[in-house]
Amino acid sequence: MVFLYVTLAVSVGYLVTALSLGAPIAENGLTPAFFPILVGGAAIVFCSILIVQALRAEPEVAPVDEMPRYTHVWVVVAIFFYIVAFKPLGYFLSSGLFVFALILLFSKFEKLVLKAIISAAIVGVAFVMFQQLFGVRLPTLWG
Amino acid sequence: MDFIVLVFSSFSLLADPVNFTYVILGFVIGTVFAAIPGLTATLAMALLLPLTYSLSVETALMACASIYMAGMCGGSITATTINIPGAPSSMMTALDGYPMQQQGKGALALGHAAMGSMFGGAVGALLLIALAPFVAELSLLVKTTGKFSLLAFALIVVVIAQRGRIPQAGLAACIGLMLATVGLDAMEPITRFTYGYSSLTAGIDLMPVIIGTFAIAEVLTQASARTDVIAAAAAASKVKIRRRDFLPPLSDIRKIGFGCYFKSCLIGYFVGTLPGAGGSMGSFLAYTETVRTSTEPETFGKGNPKGIAASESANNAVCGGAMVPMLTFGIPGDPITAIMLGVLVINGIQPGPQLMADQAGLIAPMLAALLFSAVVLIPLTLWLIGPYFIKIVSVRKDVLYAVIALLAVVGSYVATYSTFQMFMALGMGVLAFYLRRNGFPVITMLLGYILGPNLEEFLRRSLALSNGDPTTFFTNPDSLFFVALTLVFVYFLVIRNPAKPLAAVKTE
Repeated sequence: MVFLYVTLAVSVGYLVTALSLGAPIAENGLTPAFFPILVGGAAIVFCSILIVQALRAEPEVAPVDEMPRYTHVWVVVAIFFYIVAFKPLGYFLSSGLFVFALILLFSKFEKLVLKAIISAAIVGVAFVMFQQLFGVRLPTLWG
Repeated sequence: MDFIVLVFSSFSLLADPVNFTYVILGFVIGTVFAAIPGLTATLAMALLLPLTYSLSVETALMACASIYMAGMCGGSITATTINIPGAPSSMMTALDGYPMQQQGKGALALGHAAMGSMFGGAVGALLLIALAPFVAELSLLVKTTGKFSLLAFALIVVVIAQRGRIPQAGLAACIGLMLATVGLDAMEPITRFTYGYSSLTAGIDLMPVIIGTFAIAEVLTQASARTDVIAAAAAASKVKIRRRDFLPPLSDIRKIGFGCYFKSCLIGYFVGTLPGAGGSMGSFLAYTETVRTSTEPETFGKGNPKGIAASESANNAVCGGAMVPMLTFGIPGDPITAIMLGVLVINGIQPGPQLMADQAGLIAPMLAALLFSAVVLIPLTLWLIGPYFIKIVSVRKDVLYAVIALLAVVGSYVATYSTFQMFMALGMGVLAFYLRRNGFPVITMLLGYILGPNLEEFLRRSLALSNGDPTTFFTNPDSLFFVALTLVFVYFLVIRNPAKPLAAVKTE
C-alpha cells in the first residue's frame, strides 16, 4: 500500500507539473503539455483502481516467525556511497571496499581475509576487462 | 532474395577470430546466466550493454544474438536436473524434464531439450530471414497515423497480456511513459520535468534504465529474498551425467515427430512477433497444443520427451519472431530485444521500415549468428561441456552478486563518464525493485519508456496533419487495421476470457 500511495503522490505531482506547462491544445494542434497530462491522468486512474482493490482485499496475515530482511536497503546504501566515492577515491579503492562490503552483506561475517582477497581479485579482473580489454577510462586516486 | 543472400554470405564474418570469439563467449555467458536460477540472459545482456561501445556494431549484435539464443535453451538445464527453471521460458520443460531426471534419464531429457532448441532456433531464424524483408516492405505502407495506432496497439497488448494484473501493468506502462517525457520536447524547444537539472535536459538515458531495471533490481531482489541457492547447489552436485547420455535415439525423435517440432516452432515464432508475449508464453501455448492433440495426454507431466521438445522448440523459435517487430518497427517483443534495440540505437542505427533497405549489411551478421548459435552451438556446447553445466548453480551467491553489482554500477559510468548516470541507474534499480516486489511487470514499464517518445510524436503529427480531427485514426486504412487488431486482442484477452492470471492457466 505504501508503494501505491507514493506512486499516487508522484503521479499527482507529475500531472500538476504537466498542467503548468500550458494549455494542452492550441491552434488545432497538441502542445508539449498534452501527452504528459494524458499519461499523468491515466497513472492516477490506475493508482486509484489499485488502491481501491487493495482496500477491498482481505488483509494478509504476515507469518509470525519471519523477521523482515533489510539487506536490500544496505545494498542501496553501499551502492550510493560507492558512487559518491568512485571519482574521489578512484576505481581500485572504492571498488575494493564496495565489493568487500557486498560480499559481507550476501554472506556471513567470517573468513574476512579470504573475502578481502576475493574482492581484490574481482576488482582486478573487472579493471582488466573494462580498461584494458574495452578501453574504458576509469578514475584513479593518482589522477 | 538479396537480403537472404546477404545473411548467408555474412557467415564468412564468423571466420574472423574476433567475431567468432565474441559469439562463443556470448553463447557461454548466455547459457551460464540462463542456467543459474534467479539470473537471466536479459541480465547478462544488460551487464554487457556498456561494453558494446568498444565493439563494432556487427560484432556487438552477433554477440547479442548468441546470448539471446543461449538464454532460451540454458534455462532447461536446471529445469531438468533440479526442477528449478533457470529462465521463465523453461517452466514447461521442467514439467517433463524433471520426471525424466527422477527416472535416471536426465541427460536424455537435456538432449531432447537441446534438439528442440536447435530445431526451434533454426526454424525461427530462417523464418525471420525469409519474412523480415517482406514485413519491412509492408511496413512502408504504414504512415504517420498508422504508426501511432501500431505503437498504441503494441503498448495495449503488452498491458492486457498481463492477465489478472492489468491495472498493475497499466500503471507500470504509465511510469515508463512518464520517464520518457523527461527532457527536451521532440517537436518544440521546451524542457519538461527537468526541475532545473541541466543533466536531465537530454532526457533519461537508455543505458541506466536498462542496467537499473535488470541488473541492480536483480541484486536488490536477491538481497531481500530468502531463496536458498546453497540447497540447489547441493542437489546439483549429486547429479552425475555422462557425455554420451545426451544423444537422443532416433526412435525417440521419430516418436516425437516432425509435425510436433514444426508446429511448436510456428507457435513460438508467431507468439514472438507479439509485443510482450515472450518465450514463456510461446512454450506454454506449444506445450498445451501438444497435449491437446496427443493420443496419450495422460503421459505428459510424467516424463514425456514430446513435452520437452514442444516447449523448447517454441521458446527458441520466439527469438526469430521477437526480432521482426524490433527490426521493422522498433517495437521490442521482449526484454532481450528491448536491450538489442538499445544496442542498435546506441550505435546510431534507427530500426524501422528503412533499416532492411539502408543498413541490411549491419543486420545480416546478427541473423547469421542467430542461426549459427541454434544449429551449431546448442548441440555442440551441450555435448562438450554439458556434464559441467549443472555445476553452474554451485557458484557462490555472495561473490556472484558482488560481481553483478560492480559490473552494473561501473557499466552505467561507461556511457558518459559521469556519476550522474550511475545515480540514475541506482534510482531506476530501486524503482524496478519495488515494482517487481509489488507485482508490477517491469517489461511494460520498459516498453512504455522505449515507445513513449514515438507514441507522442506520431500522435501530435497525426493530429497536426488532420487539423486536430481525431477521427483520422479511424479513416486511414493503415491506422484502422491496427485499431481493429487492438479490438480483437482486447476481445480475446479481456472480454471473452477476463482476468485469468497466467499462473492459474498454467496449473490447469
